Amino acid sequence: MAKTKYKPQFYPGNTLPAKNRRRFLDPSVKLEKLRDVPMDDVVKILGHRVPGSDYASIHPPLAEGNEPDCPIRALVEPIEGAKKGDRIRYVQFTDSVYWAPIVPYVRAQMYMWRYRGIDTGTLSGRQIIEMRERDVEKVAKELIDNETFDTARTGIRGATVHGHAVRLDENGLMFDAWQRYRWNAKKGEVEYVKDQVGVPLDKPVPVGKPMPEKWLKEHTTMFRADGVDMRDDEEVMRQNLRIHTLRTKCGFKPFDVKED
Amino acid sequence: MSNPASEGVPLPEIQIFPERLLLASTTEKLLNRLYDVKNVRQINVQGEGLPAVIKAGPATGGPVNHPERKKIKVKGKEIELTVQVGRIFVEISDIDLVPQALKDIEEVCKEVLPFGFTLEVGRYNKFKPTTSDYKRGLVK
Repeated sequence: MAKTKYKPQFYPGNTLPAKNRRRFLDPSVKLEKLRDVPMDDVVKILGHRVPGSDYASIHPPLAEGNEPDCPIRALVEPIEGAKKGDRIRYVQFTDSVYWAPIVPYVRAQMYMWRYRGIDTGTLSGRQIIEMRERDVEKVAKELIDNETFDTARTGIRGATVHGHAVRLDENGLMFDAWQRYRWNAKKGEVEYVKDQVGVPLDKPVPVGKPMPEKWLKEHTTMFRADGVDMRDDEEVMRQNLRIHTLRTKCGFKPFDVKED
Repeated sequence: MSNPASEGVPLPEIQIFPERLLLASTTEKLLNRLYDVKNVRQINVQGEGLPAVIKAGPATGGPVNHPERKKIKVKGKEIELTVQVGRIFVEISDIDLVPQALKDIEEVCKEVLPFGFTLEVGRYNKFKPTTSDYKRGLVK
C-alpha cells in the first residue's frame, strides 16, 4: 500500500461559517489581533495571582532531575509551566448565541489544534481551559487579544456564566448577573470591574470597543436559522450524519459497522 | 408585583417582548407610560434575576452591585427592581378593550423601545391563587 501523507482538512463545507471554522482550527493561520490588553490586566482578570508576584509551584522544577525514567517523558517536550512546576489554573470564556465570533465546541477543536498541555471542557455556552499557570496566562492573553473575542459578546467568567442564550442588553452587552464588565458610555468601550469569579478589581480594566454587527456576521462560526442554516451546507450535514451514525452504531453493535 | 387575588374570568394580557433586555431607566419610563394607557388593570414584569450577593466561588458573600438592580419610581410609588426586565405583561380589564389597548401600547413601545419588540395577546400569568399561595399565606 502506497504511503500517503496525512493532510488535515479541519472542517468540511463551503459556507461562510464552515470557512471561518477552518480558519480558526488551522494552526498555520495566524489569527487577527484586534486589541492589546496588557499582561498585568489579563492576570488581574484571571484572579489567580497578584500581577508581578511569583508563581506558586506544586513540584520541583523538572531540570532538577528527580523524575523517574519514563519513555513518554523522553518523547514529550514539557511546556514552560510544567518545567517550572507551576500550579494548574484555568480561564473560562462564555460565548453569546448572538453572533459571538466563536462557539464553545469550535473553541475545543481550536484549542486542541493550536495549544499543547491543555485540558479543555465544553459546555453549552462556555469553554474552560486548564493549564499550567504561566501558560494559561499567555493563552488567555492571546485569546482576549485576537479575533475569537468580542468585548461585548464574549465573557471571561469562572463561575455563574449564565447569559449566553439571553438577549443582549440595551448597550449590546451579553447579560451577566454578577456584572463583571460594564459599558463605559463616555469612552464607548467595555471595561472589567471584577475578575472572572466576581472579586472586585482595584480599578477598571478596559478591554476595548465591541466589534460592529457587520464584522461579527462576516466572521461568524455559527450556523443559525437566521444566518446560514447548517442544512444549507451539504458537506457539513453529511459529515455530521456520518459521525452520529457511527457513534450510535459503535455504541450498540460495533462489530456490525462496515465502512470503506 | 404579582397579585394572587382571584379573578372571575382570566383577563387578557398583552405581552411586550423587547429585543433587548431593558435598563432600569427604560423600564421605569415604559411602566409609567403603560400605566397611562386606558383600561390597564395591572402590569407584571419578568426578566433575568439580579442577585444582591455573590453566592458561589471565591467571592461568596461579596456584593454584586449590579447597576440595574435599583429602586425605580412607578406612578409615584418606589419599587425595587431585582430583575433585568425581558418581558412585560399588561393586563387589560376586558377582552373587548384589547384591540384599542394594543394600538396604544404599540405607540408607547415604538417610542420607548427603538431597538424593536413584539406584542402578543394571551394569558401568561396565573389568574387565581395556587395551592402554594395558600400554603405560603399569600391569600388573605
